[in-house]
Amino acid sequence: MRKISIITLIFSVIASSFAIANEVNVFNARHYKADSELYSKFTNMTGIKVNLINGKSGALEKRIISEGADSSADLYITADAGRCGAMDAKGALQGGLTSAAIKDAVPKSFRTNKWVGIAKRARIIYYSPERVTGAELSGMTYEGLADPKWKGRLVIRKSSNIYNKSLVASLIKNNGKAATAAWAEGVVANMARTPTGNDRAQIMAVAAGEADIAVANTYYLALMLSGKKGAEQQEAAKKVKAFFPNQNDRGTHMNVSCAALVKGAPNKANAVKLVEFLLTPESQEHFTNNTFEFPMIDGVSPSPLVVNNLGLDFKQDMKTKLASYGKNQAAAVEVMTAAGWK
Amino acid sequence: MRINFWYISSFVISLFVIIPILTVFSSFFDNTSNYFQVLKDTFLMEYIFNSLILLVSVLILTFFIGTGSAYLVSFFNFPFSNFFKWALILSFAVPPYIYAYSLTAFFENYGTAYTILKNLFGEGNYNQSIPKFDGLLGVVLSISFSLYAYVYILARASFLYQSQNIIDLGKNLGFTKFKAFYSIILPAARPAIVAGLSLVAMETLAEFGAVDFFSINTLTTGIYNSWIAFDDLAFANQLSFFLLLFIFALFILENLSRKNAKYHFNTKAGFKQKQKIQLSGKKAFLAFSFCFLVFFLSFLFPLSQMMYWTIKFPENLIDLKILDLLMNTLYLVILSSLLLIIFGLVSNYGNRVNKNKTLNILSTLSISGYAIPGVILAVAFITFIAWFDDSVIKNLGFVSIKKVFIGSILGLVLVYFIRFYSLAYNGIKSGYEKINISVDESSYLLGYSKRKTFMNIHIPFLRNSLLFVGILVSLEIIRELPITLILRPFNFETFATTAYISASEDLLEAAAVPSLFLILIATFFIIVTSKYILRDNND
Repeated sequence: MRKISIITLIFSVIASSFAIANEVNVFNARHYKADSELYSKFTNMTGIKVNLINGKSGALEKRIISEGADSSADLYITADAGRCGAMDAKGALQGGLTSAAIKDAVPKSFRTNKWVGIAKRARIIYYSPERVTGAELSGMTYEGLADPKWKGRLVIRKSSNIYNKSLVASLIKNNGKAATAAWAEGVVANMARTPTGNDRAQIMAVAAGEADIAVANTYYLALMLSGKKGAEQQEAAKKVKAFFPNQNDRGTHMNVSCAALVKGAPNKANAVKLVEFLLTPESQEHFTNNTFEFPMIDGVSPSPLVVNNLGLDFKQDMKTKLASYGKNQAAAVEVMTAAGWK
Repeated sequence: MRINFWYISSFVISLFVIIPILTVFSSFFDNTSNYFQVLKDTFLMEYIFNSLILLVSVLILTFFIGTGSAYLVSFFNFPFSNFFKWALILSFAVPPYIYAYSLTAFFENYGTAYTILKNLFGEGNYNQSIPKFDGLLGVVLSISFSLYAYVYILARASFLYQSQNIIDLGKNLGFTKFKAFYSIILPAARPAIVAGLSLVAMETLAEFGAVDFFSINTLTTGIYNSWIAFDDLAFANQLSFFLLLFIFALFILENLSRKNAKYHFNTKAGFKQKQKIQLSGKKAFLAFSFCFLVFFLSFLFPLSQMMYWTIKFPENLIDLKILDLLMNTLYLVILSSLLLIIFGLVSNYGNRVNKNKTLNILSTLSISGYAIPGVILAVAFITFIAWFDDSVIKNLGFVSIKKVFIGSILGLVLVYFIRFYSLAYNGIKSGYEKINISVDESSYLLGYSKRKTFMNIHIPFLRNSLLFVGILVSLEIIRELPITLILRPFNFETFATTAYISASEDLLEAAAVPSLFLILIATFFIIVTSKYILRDNND
């Protein structure tokens, strides 16, 4: 009897993994509550069930690649173009995100036929208005972070962080590897402390007086200002100001959360539908109001918290192709490590 | 030698557990390097250095906390000493990664400490004067306060069985309490303490959650990153070679101390029940303070930080499907513990009745799964299944088996099985060692079959050991993070994965609710079963 029940159990486990349904399987490395709300909405509208496996990008990628042609993954959603680019380089993606709806919505430099940006963020400079003068900041660029005048005044997170890898990859694309290597050494020399903590911790370090300028993504300040992190952090956020670098040349470094079509996706059509859904004005508005990212499409404006405190009217870098972040990633790691960037 | 059912089952179980462990070290032969040798050398030095510093610091801290508190509660009576006796094992309920969240939440700029100071003394910039416990220091504290209980439990068990005779000996020689402690009591308990420390060491080397949270690169995260992010198998190989050296050293140390431990068992005849010394005044206060401080830092502090956040951000409580998470967690716990206990029993019995050398070596090898970090085991499992499927199953013309094992409960439970088999096997083995072999012989003489001997004689004898193994395994699985994270099926979350995912998205407040529930469930498990963990009632 006991044997039978164990065998039944094993078979039911096996059977459940073969069940076929109207669904789309998402390997998801973006874990905002807002995202799962959108997925439920999609299911209600289309009847397509969204199956989620949440995890760290690295482990999800490993699983997709090992499962190969048999992978159950349809879409891989992650928070950096560098990661989608790296997956493409490993041959784990397929073309197909080419419908008119997608092409019309997303500017060319923010997509390939295998992955598209679904929401934008900028990596910018935060400063303390008490300790940094307007003259010091005037015409400030990413390149300028290596200027000796910032010695002991800069905080930025670790070199292992993907946002930094992509930023440095974009600098390599624009200025070349040798110049970027020299730049990285300058940045390390300017650091107020050994890199520690996440982006929000860098902003708070400026608020607390540990440093004068910080590099972090745009949505963190809005998140702190929203009060979702408590009154203390709201108060801290008011002590720092945002600055958009490189306004006089190529524009501010942009990155995206991206959705990539996995090779061998069993529900390819549904996957395309989900991506199209994420690019509708309603979904984009949902992103901007909850995750405080910038919308991917025209005609939707960012959250008032972002507009009022960061400004909307800034020049985005639309020239540097996001696909270059993945291509130059290894070189980026190399120059940062060689410079002693922890 | 006769090949029988028991032989085959033990053989198959051990073999199954060994395969993925071998994969870890044999799948590293391609060289697909992405970056230069110079950089690798930099990384290698950093990883080894970090792992060493981490290991040494954690061992020193856990030794002091674990042995110190065990000594106080075993030899002295002071206010609440009976409470601390079991309260000090509650730290097991707080995994290092949740401790790390609490440390950050409390000490970060504008964190809980800042709020407290602001409410006490009014506005002011307190951030500069609040110490920061992050980076390597943060990891050391998180691991130490979570794992010292291994040392505490084993040291206390050993102290408990020290006879009054040897303490009297010290008295007669005119030793001070301190001298008696380090020249008599401590040496006698050494094997137990070393065994506890080597458990701590293995867990420290395998630690993923806390280390990853503070983004410190150790050998384990280094292997994970170079394997996963860079596909640099050659470098991963180099790193795992060093990790293996560490682990082998520990393994040998642990085995040696286990062997030594046998000489220290007291025979009942010479055993004289120890009398606890009543402390009063300043001494009682000091003993109380030490134990309270340990209890506070290891358990009350993370518990209250998580509670504080849950109350401060109640919307996270409403959003969470607590019942689902609870059912998923319990489902994994029950399924895995049952499997581990059943197969651990069968394999032990197979070894006992067959006394076969090959089988013995195989069993010894198979328990090394515990020494391999879960995160690496999980990736190795995926790699092995993918290889096996592509090169064997498909060539034979069968349908792919990948989906059966990768991203399924079956696969998840199998890897838990490999990882924790050592706990089950050794736990049951130590129970078996107390059943004299003559019991079996008498049973056969009475005409019992092997099966009947096993069912009707061994299992009732082993009841307490089985329960103990069940608790250990359950606690491990409730807290387990990397394997669950990598191998779980679609739409399947546990308290541990939910907490980790929120934390990795910088939503520590949201991580508080699942963390709190994880702590509460583990605490419940520990309290209900504390008498088996402390082993006051059986020897």
